Amino acid sequence: MSDSEATATVDISPEELREEMLAIYPPKTKRKRQKQILVNDPDAIPEIAANTRTIPGIITQRGCTYAGCRGVVMGPIYDLLQIVHGPIGCGFYAWMSRRNLARPKPGLPNYMQYSMSTDMMEEQIVFGGEKKLRQAILEAYEIFKPKAIAILATCPVGLIGDDIHQVAREMKDKLGINVVAFSCEGYKGVSQSAGHHIANNEVFKNMIGLDDTPDQGEFTMNILGEYNIGGDAWEIDALLKKCGITLTATLSGDVNYSQVCRAHTAQLNTVMCHRSINYIAGMMEKKYGIPWFKVNFLGADSTAKSLRKIAQYFDNKGLTERVEAVIAEEQAKLKPVRDEVTARCKGKRAALFVGGSRAHHYQDLFADIGVEVVSAGYEFAHRDDYEGRHVLPTIKVDADSRNIEELHVEPDPARYNPRKTPEQMEALKSQGFTFEDYEGMMKQMKKRTLVIDDISHHEMEKLIEAYKPDIICSGIKDKFVVEKMGVPCKQLHSYDYSGPYAAFTGAANFYKEIDRMLNTGVWKLITPPWEKPS
Amino acid sequence: MLDATPSTHSAREALRINPAKTCQPIGAMYAALGIHGCMPHSHGSQGCCAYHRSHLTRHHKEPVMATTSSFTEGASVFGGLANMTQALNNIFTIYNPEIVAVHTTCLSEVIGDDIPMMIRKAYDEKIIPEGKVVIHANTPSFVGSHITGFAGMVTSMVKHLPSRAGEKHGKVNIIPGFVDPSDMRELKRLAREMGVPAVMFPDTSDVLDLPQTGKYVMYPHGGVTLADMKTVSHSLGTIALGGFTSTPAALELESQYGVPATLLELPIGLGTTDLFIDALHKVGGVPVADSVAWERGRLLDVMTDMHQYFYGKRVAVAGDPDHVISLVQMLLELEMRPVYVITGSSAPRFEARVQQLLEGRVPEAVVKQNADLFDMHQWIKEAPVDLIVGNSYCKHIGRAENIPTVRFGFPILDRMGHRLFPTVGYMGAMRLIEKMLDAMLDKKDRECPEEFFELVQ
Amino acid sequence: MRKVAIYGKGGIGKSTTTQNTVAGLAEMGRKVMVVGCDPKADSTRLLLGGLAQRSVLDTLREEGEDVDLSDVRSPGFAGSLCVESGGPEPGVGCAGRGIITSINLLEQLGAYNESENLDYVFYDVLGDVVCGGFAMPIRDGKAEEIYIVCSGEMMAMYAANNICKGILKFAESGKVRLGGLICNSRKVDNEKEMIAEFARRLGTQMIHFVPRDNDVQRAEINRKTVIEWDPACNQAGEYRSLAKAIEGNTMFVIPKPLAIPELESLLMEYGLFN
Repeated sequence: MSDSEATATVDISPEELREEMLAIYPPKTKRKRQKQILVNDPDAIPEIAANTRTIPGIITQRGCTYAGCRGVVMGPIYDLLQIVHGPIGCGFYAWMSRRNLARPKPGLPNYMQYSMSTDMMEEQIVFGGEKKLRQAILEAYEIFKPKAIAILATCPVGLIGDDIHQVAREMKDKLGINVVAFSCEGYKGVSQSAGHHIANNEVFKNMIGLDDTPDQGEFTMNILGEYNIGGDAWEIDALLKKCGITLTATLSGDVNYSQVCRAHTAQLNTVMCHRSINYIAGMMEKKYGIPWFKVNFLGADSTAKSLRKIAQYFDNKGLTERVEAVIAEEQAKLKPVRDEVTARCKGKRAALFVGGSRAHHYQDLFADIGVEVVSAGYEFAHRDDYEGRHVLPTIKVDADSRNIEELHVEPDPARYNPRKTPEQMEALKSQGFTFEDYEGMMKQMKKRTLVIDDISHHEMEKLIEAYKPDIICSGIKDKFVVEKMGVPCKQLHSYDYSGPYAAFTGAANFYKEIDRMLNTGVWKLITPPWEKPS
Repeated sequence: MLDATPSTHSAREALRINPAKTCQPIGAMYAALGIHGCMPHSHGSQGCCAYHRSHLTRHHKEPVMATTSSFTEGASVFGGLANMTQALNNIFTIYNPEIVAVHTTCLSEVIGDDIPMMIRKAYDEKIIPEGKVVIHANTPSFVGSHITGFAGMVTSMVKHLPSRAGEKHGKVNIIPGFVDPSDMRELKRLAREMGVPAVMFPDTSDVLDLPQTGKYVMYPHGGVTLADMKTVSHSLGTIALGGFTSTPAALELESQYGVPATLLELPIGLGTTDLFIDALHKVGGVPVADSVAWERGRLLDVMTDMHQYFYGKRVAVAGDPDHVISLVQMLLELEMRPVYVITGSSAPRFEARVQQLLEGRVPEAVVKQNADLFDMHQWIKEAPVDLIVGNSYCKHIGRAENIPTVRFGFPILDRMGHRLFPTVGYMGAMRLIEKMLDAMLDKKDRECPEEFFELVQ
Repeated sequence: MRKVAIYGKGGIGKSTTTQNTVAGLAEMGRKVMVVGCDPKADSTRLLLGGLAQRSVLDTLREEGEDVDLSDVRSPGFAGSLCVESGGPEPGVGCAGRGIITSINLLEQLGAYNESENLDYVFYDVLGDVVCGGFAMPIRDGKAEEIYIVCSGEMMAMYAANNICKGILKFAESGKVRLGGLICNSRKVDNEKEMIAEFARRLGTQMIHFVPRDNDVQRAEINRKTVIEWDPACNQAGEYRSLAKAIEGNTMFVIPKPLAIPELESLLMEYGLFN
């Protein structure tokens, strides 16, 4: 793309662009897609259709339920031995393909480097796969002697009716270790999102709460929905340590099984990715009395805001002072690079289509350096992630969502321990403090930006043609499509093997990376001299 | 690195650890991309399509387009007809391909979806526009491996696309096997160099190795055209490279249309390339071009010049059956010792062939089909090797055991050379030899005592 | 080669009817292969004189992929050829997929090749078409004519009507057609007339009315088809007639399944609800 194109102004209205995107679709497809493409108004947020079925034949970014369960939530628990029950592909593709880094504690194994599967063949499909699964578990135990085993189901398992939960119970009795089954067959939901929910349920039922040993440390908390992509969780951990806060568990990024089992001992739950893990946060509040609120450590200003909120929650003078000192120090350190990059990037335009929270979180990082977001959307989020949690009661439960068990949770008779008294909670709330809060993406996005749920390839092409954004944030399947169009594309699932981007230290990496991408000369080499106007 | 792997090997019956294969559909998707103007379609849960596209993209660093029937539980219970019909309607309306190549998944195979019926219905109902084509291959993930899926889709091309009408022409069909676009490009170059007019199918060159032009095209200029596919039934002959990937399609062409098949192994290394060139010479009825003979000579020159560094070196090889069978021959030409030779695919013929090659030469060799990288790693722990050759997943073993590792085969997720430079043909062999030598000498240079750190080798 | 599938409600007497009909055709000198598509693998017992045919799926499981046709196919009465698909124990695995697997294998092994000189292949399919696997025998290129075994009992007719719905789907885009209803009598009042009318409304015919006769049970106890056990008995004649009717059949239709009220009114009309 030439310079003049890169800075072209948008001369098409979002309404027109929306119509242009929809024009080609057959009527049924159009009816559906038009509810998923909206022109935003933060003051009167329109209702978006989200978490609905993907339309067959549309080139989608979405994956399956298994991917959400095995790949996203369970994958990062590095010493939990995970056996994928199914044909080989599902185990193969989820093997080291996400960038959830881990640095196992001394003495603990790292099973993330291993792909274990029952490699189901036709014989197991026809005659049933339970026998092979049992044998596979025995062999895994014999070789690795793990602390706990997870069994993850793929599509055919549910169809042929293998009872993996029964196998898990049997093996648990036989081996004397925890064995947990996840019915996360790919077809169970409309996207990865169903898999997150299934993982949340099983982790909550079968792991959290097994070990009551609390962490030493005055202030303990969990981060839920932080997957340590490229080492993000380490940046956050280091920052919190500096302030004097101890992380009990990060679900699930560089985390071990025993940390998961002790997660209920923390004094606070903070939620990064609301979509993938709000279920556990809600259930832990009910069962153990741990309040939760939303944080965002992506973006310097958001990080500062999140730290202050955590300090306010703990309500401790020393902590508050340390937090302020750390923020001041880190912001000061960051300022030169932030200023420098802002000077070069201000006014450039970005669009983000990824995940169930990332398309929102990264807007804060872009805001730090003055990059404007013209369009955004999630891959597998729900309405509350767009419009805010206040719409939860109005979300219709459809057949696909009904598929996923809603756990009924009661306070634990022995361990329910409200971390704050009702009076303390009221006092905080009266200061404007919010719990169980998520305002969603649309509230933060500017008026007349375009919000697109589960963007299709066709819509992406149209968007690039019409808006000519300076950068697109997306995933591996779009990356080279976008770049073939001459627009740099940042993968926000893998960070293109760079990062970390979280906290102040990570923010510096992100600014520099975006600076490189927005200001590189390589895109200008496309036109050879013989095609240049003389 | 891989610290949990015990150092002695034990047999397993049920548990697959660190597979050296993946499932059928990705092979079918890759083959379909080698048809010009084709949209591969995955009939099943959308995760399969997402995984296959992602992995092909990571390997090729190129856009990989494919659609899915996006099954939910309802489709799994009621069958996928409605999803397929809607998908075809959307695909032709929105993406306008010349051809859609459908492959199945374990989900649609278990419920027993009848794909030909669905496609016929779509023709009848004019969902498939006039002049457009839909073909299919059944690719249950619980049978065979990605190799089976590739072979299945190539066979499907031969079953559905050629025409009986027409006359003999002077072209030669080349079925390249599950190799990279750079390899297909090289095979075509060799045919051109020899003056043999060739039709290659599938052909992913100029589909998955595109230039950066600032413009995105959904259906790039590469790929075998439907017009060419129509006439492969009247070619002089078919040269099929790879017994597991290409033979079934070549035999189908032979039995259906009487196109004589020359069945070869992949031309990787000197001897197997010689056979390919010889086949071009015989089937095409042309003399061997001097330029090709000189290439051969340059390869042999490298082999003799550098022989001392290869002779007697122990190698572990993991990969797809066709690749490994040919690579073993190349290693033997260099007088290396392939001591561990595995493929993840279930392929009894593979074991027999490799054993035949190694017989009397490497008596200590362990050859295993249906094996995995965990097996190979444990064998290496028991008795180490000087070099590992395999896909990117081998690099963990290489690091754990401090063994130089050369990337070869599919998938390669962490290097870029395979996109540009072939491993087939004489040129490909030169490249592989260079890579192997560099890897081994780099290790020596890094680790040898300073007095033996030599400027000249 | 004519490719025939026999469907019908479980317990209706499909296997008995199929084997006796095959015996009739075989006796006429026709070369017939029977493929039992029931996990219980008991569709060819009578033709084999009580011997159990090792099923395709068991053979595959025990011997791997190196299977010969002779491992899974045995000669039965009067030169008939018997195959059992087999399948899992009740409650596990996927019986439907098993049928797909075994028919694919038979094709690979050349069981349908011209060189086999088959006049007929009969598929005896379990119960209803419960999933895609059970429709395998009526997919394109496989069975082209279907006979539904039914009786005058309401549930049998209901099942027959359902099967017609299944056929309809495949018939609309393929070559499969309904050849007729075989009434395997349960001695219901007005049974013959009712099934004849039911057949008419479905757009097909009652190809034969097989009366109830205890000789069928007697032959079964002796592990034989009626034709083999007592070629001279009445019932043997009935099965010969059925075999001849199928041999001479030219009426192949796309069925028109009845709406439930229509089916119920038919039952009313013929006195079931009196």
